[in-house]
Amino acid sequence: MRLRVKHTTNYIYSQPVKEAHTEVRLLPHSDNAQTCLSFHLTTRPHANLFHYDLPSGRVHHFNIRPPHSEQSVTVESLVATHLKDPFSRLPLLDNDASFYTQPEVRQRYYEYLIATKRVPLLEEVDRFAEAVRANREGNTACFLTELTRHLHGVFVYTPGATTVHSRLEEFLEQREGVCQDFAHLLLAICRRQGIPARYASGYIYTGSASTIEEVSYHAEGPGLVGDGGMHAWVECLLPNGVWVGFDPTNDLVVNDHYIKVHYGRDYSDVTPVLGVYSGEVTNTLDVSVRVTYEGD
Amino acid sequence: MSLFQDYETESFYDEMFEANGKPRPHYQKLYARLSQMSPEEFRKRTLLADKALIQQGITFTVYGDEKGTERPFPFDLIPRIVPTPEWELLERGLKQRLTALNLFLHDIYHDQKILNDGIVPRELVVGAVNFRPQFRYADPPAGIYVHICGSDLIRDADGTYRVLEDNLRTPSGVSYVLESRIILTRTFPSLFSDIAVRPVDHYTTQLLANLRELAPPGREEDPNVVLLTPGVFNSAYFEHSFLAQQLGIELLEGRDLFCDDNIVYMKTTRGPQRVDVIYRRVDDDFLDPLTFRPDSVLGVPGLVNAYRAGNVALANSIGTGIADDKVIYAFVPRIIEYYLGEKALIPNVETYLASNPQDYTYILENLDKLVVKAANESGGYGMLMGHKSTQKEREEFAERIKAEPRNYIAQPLIALSRAPAFVEDHCEGRHIDLRPYLLYGKSGITLIPGALTRVALRKGSYVVNSSQGGGSKDTWVLAEGQETLTQQMGGMSQTMSATGMSQSFTLPGSPSTLQANEGGAQ
Repeated sequence: MRLRVKHTTNYIYSQPVKEAHTEVRLLPHSDNAQTCLSFHLTTRPHANLFHYDLPSGRVHHFNIRPPHSEQSVTVESLVATHLKDPFSRLPLLDNDASFYTQPEVRQRYYEYLIATKRVPLLEEVDRFAEAVRANREGNTACFLTELTRHLHGVFVYTPGATTVHSRLEEFLEQREGVCQDFAHLLLAICRRQGIPARYASGYIYTGSASTIEEVSYHAEGPGLVGDGGMHAWVECLLPNGVWVGFDPTNDLVVNDHYIKVHYGRDYSDVTPVLGVYSGEVTNTLDVSVRVTYEGD
Repeated sequence: MSLFQDYETESFYDEMFEANGKPRPHYQKLYARLSQMSPEEFRKRTLLADKALIQQGITFTVYGDEKGTERPFPFDLIPRIVPTPEWELLERGLKQRLTALNLFLHDIYHDQKILNDGIVPRELVVGAVNFRPQFRYADPPAGIYVHICGSDLIRDADGTYRVLEDNLRTPSGVSYVLESRIILTRTFPSLFSDIAVRPVDHYTTQLLANLRELAPPGREEDPNVVLLTPGVFNSAYFEHSFLAQQLGIELLEGRDLFCDDNIVYMKTTRGPQRVDVIYRRVDDDFLDPLTFRPDSVLGVPGLVNAYRAGNVALANSIGTGIADDKVIYAFVPRIIEYYLGEKALIPNVETYLASNPQDYTYILENLDKLVVKAANESGGYGMLMGHKSTQKEREEFAERIKAEPRNYIAQPLIALSRAPAFVEDHCEGRHIDLRPYLLYGKSGITLIPGALTRVALRKGSYVVNSSQGGGSKDTWVLAEGQETLTQQMGGMSQTMSATGMSQSFTLPGSPSTLQANEGGAQ
C-alpha cells in the first residue's frame, strides 16, 4: 500500500541557542519491502541540507549558526510498501536452529550479536527464550514469532513509562515501557541465543492515526500502537539469509504497515534527530507523526 | 678518570660496547672523543644542555601529578648511533609495516575483506573501543589514514630490532628529536664534524609539504593548514606549539574553529577564514561532539561531516586507533602477508592474547614473568611489569584480565638493549627503545633518518615513557660512505673551524641566545 508520513520534531529552548548542528536519520529505505516514492525535509529556521549514505540509511545534516529559540525538522515521505504477506518470507518448516552455531555466522554478524550500552546481554532474559522453547521445535521463525507474542503478553505498552535514557533493567523490573524498550529486550534475548538481531526504526500505520476522512483501509488490530511518534522493532537474520522484522510491541511479524527508516545495533545508531548546540538551556521536545493511507 | 671506567654491559645487548668491552665500530669515533673528556667537563655540558632545555621550554606534563603541570624533559647527552645497514633494514621494514596497516584501515572501514576471510577475527575489530563505525565507508584523500606514524621499536638480547607497538593516532615526541639535535649540536659541536650524521631538520618541511597536498580540490593553490590542539593542559602541548611554529601554521583550539554548511573556518580578527587541512592532535573521541562524545568541548561540531564530504582534510584520519590496538598488534605480521604477500621484515614481540583461551591460562599462571598491557592505554599506564610486581598488584591484574579478557595482552619481558647514560660522574648502562617517525604523503612514505631514543633513566628500569621516569637521547643515523657532513639547521647559523668552535643561534620564536664554546674539551 501507499503510505504518507508527516513527521515533525520541534525543539523549543528556554533561551536562544546558537551554533546548532543536527543530524537527521529519517529517509525511508528503498528495498525489497518498500519503495520511497518521495521525500521532503524542511527545517525551521531554514538551513542548507547535506547528506551522506550508509548501508543502514541516509544521514542528512545541517547547521544553524545564528541564535534561535526554536528548531523544527519536518519530513514528508510517500512510501509504497510491498509486504502483503509477511509469512511468505518465513521458513516455517525447517529444523534450522543449527545455523546459528556455525562459527562463520558469529564471525560475519558479530556486531549484531554483542552487547551494547543499551542492550546489555543480561543472563536473566534467557527465561523468555526458555518459556517459548517448547514450541520452537528447532525452527527459528516459529521461535521468534512465538517469542514476539510472549513478550507482548508479559510486558505492557505504556507511553511515558520510560524515557529515551531508561535502562533495560528498569523495563524488566517494571514490565512497562515503549517500543524502544520492547525492541531492546528482544535484541538482548536474540543475541544471547546467537541470533543476529538489529534495531529497526521507522513508522507503523496503525489505521487509527489518520485524520483523512476517505481512508478506506481498516487495520486488522485496532489495538496497534505506534507511539504517536516513531516506531521501533527488531530485525532478525533468519537461516535463509533474510532479515525479518519482529515487533513485540504489537505482536506482529513486520508487514506492509511498516516503513523502515534506519537500522543499527541499538537506538543510539538510529537516533532520528541528533544535535548539539551552544547554550545552557532547557529544551522542550514536541514530536508529531502522522501516517496516512493513500491507496494500494 | 674516564667516563667509561668500570662500565659494565652485564648480560644485555649494549649499543655502544661489545660483550668484551670494545666499542662497536660505528661508535669508535664517539668513544674516542668522550674518553678524552673528564667527567667534570661532561657534567658542565649536561648542565648547559639542561639550561637550554628549560629556556626552550622543552617540558612535558605528568597526568595525576599534583605538584605542577610541567617538568623539563630529561635528556642524556650521549647519543645513540644507528649504523647505515641497520637503518636501511628499519627503513624497509617500517615502510612495509605502515603500508600494510594503512591498507588494513582502508579495508576494515570499507569491505572488511580481511575480516570476512578470517585473517583477523571480526570480533577483535568491530568490538574494539577504537573502531569507529561512524566513519565506515568514508574516503580520506588518496586513501591515506595514517599520515604521521611513530612506532616503538626495541632490541632484544641478541640485538634484533622488534616492533613493540605502533602509534597511529597522534604520535608525539618528534619535537624532542628536533630539539635534542639542536641542543647536542650546540653542546658538542665538534662531534658532528667528525661523524657523518644524517640531518633530521627536513622533517617539518616534508610534513608541511604532505599536509598541503591533502588540500581539497580547488584549494591546492594556497591551502590553509592549521594545527588543532586540545590546549595547554595536554601533556604534549609544548610539542604542538613547537611544531606549529616550525611549520609556520596557526595553532588552534576547537573553539577557534567552526563549521558552516560543511566548510570549516577559523575565526580571525578579519572575519572567518576557510581551513583546508587540519593537523589534529586531538583524539577522535573529542574531535566532534556531533559524531563522537557529545560532552566534548575540545572539538568542532560538524568537523567529521565536513571531512567526510572532502571539504577539509585531517591528519591523521579518523579511526586509526584500531590499527594500533595492542590486540590487533599481534596480527600485524599476518596483516602484512595478507595485503603485501611478504613476510614482515621487522618481527613483533611474542604476544599472548587474553581473549584466546590457551593464552588466557598461560597469562594468569605466569603473571610474575610477563609484561601485561591494557589494549588501549598508552604512555605506560595500565601496565603490569610482572617481575617487579607485588602479589597484590598481580591479583588486581588477574581480576581485570578475568573481567575483560579482550582488553589485555601479555608479552615476555624482553631484556631491552642498553646504552651508556651519564649518571653523576660516570656512565652506566640504561635500557632504551627507539621511536622513528614516518610521514605518509601522496608521493609515498618518508622515514626521517633520526628518531627519539627513550631511555629508562632509573637504574634497572624497563619503562622508558616520559610519564614514568624516562628521558631521551639524540639518535644519530650514520650517512653511508660520508666522512663528514655539514649540519643544516633551520633558524641557526654556525661557524666551524679546525681549532675551536663557537656558535650562536636563536630558535624561531625564542628571545634567548645561547653560547657554547668547546675549547675546554680539546
